[in-house]
Amino acid sequence: MQQTAPVSRARVRLNRVLTYLSKPQNAILLALGIVLTFSTIAPMISILVDTVSVHVGSVDSHYTGLTEGYTLYNWIDLFTGRLARVNLWTPLLNSVLLSVFSCVGAIVYGGMFAYLVTRTNMRFKKYLSSIFIFPYIMPQWTLAVIWQNLFDSNAVTGTSDGLLAAIFGVRMPLWWCEGLFPSVVVLSLHYAPFAYILIGGIFRNMDANLEEAASIMGTPRLKIFARVTLPLVKPAVLSTVLLVFSSAMGSYPVPHYLNLTTLCTKYVQMGEKRAGEASILAVIMILFGVLILIVNQRTTSGRQSYTTVTGKSGQISLVNLGRAGKWLVTALFCLTTFFTGILPIILFAIETFLPNPGDYSFIRNGVAGNLTAKWWMTSENITENGMYGQKGILFNEAIWGAFKGTLIVAVCCAFIAGTIGLLVGYCVSKNRRSKWAAYVNSMAFLPYLMPSLAVGVAFFVFGSSMGIFNTYLLLVLAGVVKYIPFASRSALSSMMQLSGEIEEAAIIQDIPWRKRMLNIIIPIQKSSIISGYLLPFITCVRELTLFMLLCSQTKIITTMLDYFDEMGLYAFSSGINLILIVFILVCNTLINKLTGASIDSGIGGGN
Amino acid sequence: MKKILCVILALTLMMASCIAMADTVEEVIAQAQTMSNEELYAKAIEESKGQTLYGIGNSSRGKTAGASFVEMLKGIDPSYDGVIEWSQPKNNSIFTTLNADIKSANHIYSMTLIQDGNQIQTKMIDTGNLLNYIPKDWAEAEGVAIEDNDNPLALQTLNKVFMYNCVGEKTFDNCWDFVAEGEAPLYMGVNSELVGKNFLYMLTYETYANYLKDAFDALEGAEKDRIAAVVADMEPEAEALGLEAENAPYALAFIKLWCEQYNEQTDDGPICNTLVTASAKDQSGLLVYSKLRSVEESAETSVNNVKIAAYQDGYKGIGGYAYKHYLMIPKTSPLPWTACAFIAYMTTTQEGFAAWGKDMGGYSANPVCMQDHSKDGYVDGVNTFDAKNDRGYDWWISADGGRLVVEDPAYCAQVSFDLGDWIDMIVGNK
Repeated sequence: MQQTAPVSRARVRLNRVLTYLSKPQNAILLALGIVLTFSTIAPMISILVDTVSVHVGSVDSHYTGLTEGYTLYNWIDLFTGRLARVNLWTPLLNSVLLSVFSCVGAIVYGGMFAYLVTRTNMRFKKYLSSIFIFPYIMPQWTLAVIWQNLFDSNAVTGTSDGLLAAIFGVRMPLWWCEGLFPSVVVLSLHYAPFAYILIGGIFRNMDANLEEAASIMGTPRLKIFARVTLPLVKPAVLSTVLLVFSSAMGSYPVPHYLNLTTLCTKYVQMGEKRAGEASILAVIMILFGVLILIVNQRTTSGRQSYTTVTGKSGQISLVNLGRAGKWLVTALFCLTTFFTGILPIILFAIETFLPNPGDYSFIRNGVAGNLTAKWWMTSENITENGMYGQKGILFNEAIWGAFKGTLIVAVCCAFIAGTIGLLVGYCVSKNRRSKWAAYVNSMAFLPYLMPSLAVGVAFFVFGSSMGIFNTYLLLVLAGVVKYIPFASRSALSSMMQLSGEIEEAAIIQDIPWRKRMLNIIIPIQKSSIISGYLLPFITCVRELTLFMLLCSQTKIITTMLDYFDEMGLYAFSSGINLILIVFILVCNTLINKLTGASIDSGIGGGN
Repeated sequence: MKKILCVILALTLMMASCIAMADTVEEVIAQAQTMSNEELYAKAIEESKGQTLYGIGNSSRGKTAGASFVEMLKGIDPSYDGVIEWSQPKNNSIFTTLNADIKSANHIYSMTLIQDGNQIQTKMIDTGNLLNYIPKDWAEAEGVAIEDNDNPLALQTLNKVFMYNCVGEKTFDNCWDFVAEGEAPLYMGVNSELVGKNFLYMLTYETYANYLKDAFDALEGAEKDRIAAVVADMEPEAEALGLEAENAPYALAFIKLWCEQYNEQTDDGPICNTLVTASAKDQSGLLVYSKLRSVEESAETSVNNVKIAAYQDGYKGIGGYAYKHYLMIPKTSPLPWTACAFIAYMTTTQEGFAAWGKDMGGYSANPVCMQDHSKDGYVDGVNTFDAKNDRGYDWWISADGGRLVVEDPAYCAQVSFDLGDWIDMIVGNK
């Protein structure tokens, strides 16, 4: 009788591991899991350690008498000290209110617009759709600056008169000019495109038979909307809440310009004497991100129970708004999108020709001679031209150097984040039931749900300790980690749509994985994948909050723009804004024409 | 075994080189302080040929000065190809960055040009992370106010002065007028620009508290009664905060009213833009004087729409605040000779200081570097913009002139913890 040689357990395990890793998707998933865990968790650990570290010259060192080591002083002082209300509770309350109301505002405005575009006979849909996403393309605080330029007045805000006060004598109350209300409005407008694209996607694809059945049963239109339509868009609404909540919580520039104290603005203010306590604020923001991730996973796992969207219906019936109604609604949205999309651009352009920042005397006095091209054309900074020591935009090496820096960071971030995201999407779709795949997917998505400033703080602490502060490397690292979710979501949703049979046919033919990816998978889902690269690129180009702690003011264009805005040199900041908007629109249009991909299809991770 | 020995040897060498370098920077500074500029420039050329000196600071003009310094060295040695890279971190991250650089194994920054004496004292001088260097040519130059500018070495003193819009009838002839009932002077947030907080700390210093008391005594009527009540409330606070100046309650009263009333702005630029417009009738502010330099005249905007409070006849009390830009060298500076030479260049030559010297309201301690701005408001020989005629450093800091409150890093550091929290409480409860 022939006996088989005994095989050791270790050998069996090794064989199993080798077999598992022989599949490229498994090997890549393992590697990505390790890399993403490190890149996401390591900065968080740095920041956590910072909360208990002694900072020389700060209160923790002064009151404990320590010059190094660890202490719980920061936690105790922040939560129970006499400045607890000022430094923690009020900013926390404001942050939560800002996030909640921004979600509501973005969903109501963006959702309503989505419904009107997809389900009614409103006019000029294509134009309105394009213009509606303009506020998302623009750096978010530019709307805040526009708000100030429009509504500030000497009588109310104690500054010089804005446009409304200067031309029409209209003076808005203080709650309108600064604080929670304008911050909510600005962030709602900025994030409404999220809601539009996510909710619009559902409206566009949902089966109209459901509503028609209710209609045949004689259900009133309002009841149909409340009982049939709204439940169908619930997943998209939840997705919007998840995305907007953390984004609003992590917004620094909008509350900063509009005088609202939030966790972000407080973090920046506390660096002098309470660096450790400031890090605790960042930890709190990260906890919100983790909480949102948990909520996200619960809602996603329960989604099947009420989702009835099965595919495109060929029977989308448009709600008739009536002859007058359709024009009235169109006019209303033309007006609102004019204020949120077109007017800022016009004002940016005008600002670059004013003799002094905010000096609208040419309108008030009708003297065109008061306009100047000096902010663009001045080629030297020796003579005093009222340029604050700067050359004109066209000749300003610092501005163009910063623009170049932005391009370097954006291209690197888009390439790396896009590629990692693509691999995450591919590997997770191939291992749908694997817990490790779910973990990697969560790790890839977690940074998106963490407020940008918190991620920035984590990388600031991490980068400073590694000696890479103010380097492109640090910016790219932070950008990649933050933007992988865009690409992974987009890639995952497109990979999920791919039938496994397509790749299996190639596997049977013994075609290597690299060729399968390059010749089959990527070409089929080309536009979704390119969107996964495009969105990190565009987001990176106009990103400030994430990068503001990581580099000097002249390193990239948004920190430069913020510098000019803070200095009150609105001609420069407006000119840069114009350049950014034109650049993003040109990129989006070019890529759209060449590949069919666009920013619209990528926002929200492709739903 | 061989490998282990190699690793141990390498580590020992690294540690030894680190220790040696720490000594070297101090030694270099000690030697540099005995050298003339020419000798220093020669050392700098020798040290940094083909290298990049990284500087860090609050003033973006360090970059311009750096380019001028490199050009000057090229004039001495045409083959010199060193470069100066200047960075200007945002939001108070400069100290974290510097500390991290000093602690790291690979040091980058060779020199600093930082404002905020308080943090420099507590985070950099007390810890020995930044070293002071006094150029020989600076110390020996005629007319240099050494004792006011050598600890640490100041590149320049900048002033923030009280201004008000004069389109209306209102006048401000006493510094307490800026905190009178209903006033909301424009000012940068005390936690966004920390030298603004140092101004408030310095008010509790004996000299400046006395200025405030004298100005208070000159007040009359209901406004004086209002402020007197606040001063009375501040007496126990002054004691609790351990303030030693006799008139500290007056300083605390001013701080309290100022913090409760000031209208926070993101920068001095927007404050200036506001004050010079015709629509900003009766508004006031405390801002960097040199901002007036870039105002372009138009139908709505004019430098003549503002007045400098301290220039008005009979004005009582403090005229503003003076803070400094300090030049220092990290104890781990990779290019200490070049750093010393660059610092000497900026503090002893007109070309080196030119990037800052063109502004009124910015004063080098060295008369050689100073430019005269006393007639900046003259156009074709006619005094057209009186507010721009800078009366100079000596006038501004004198007790019978501008009575500026001058930053003292050691005093700020001494009171900043308790007083800082006290101020934050007021600002937070606004």
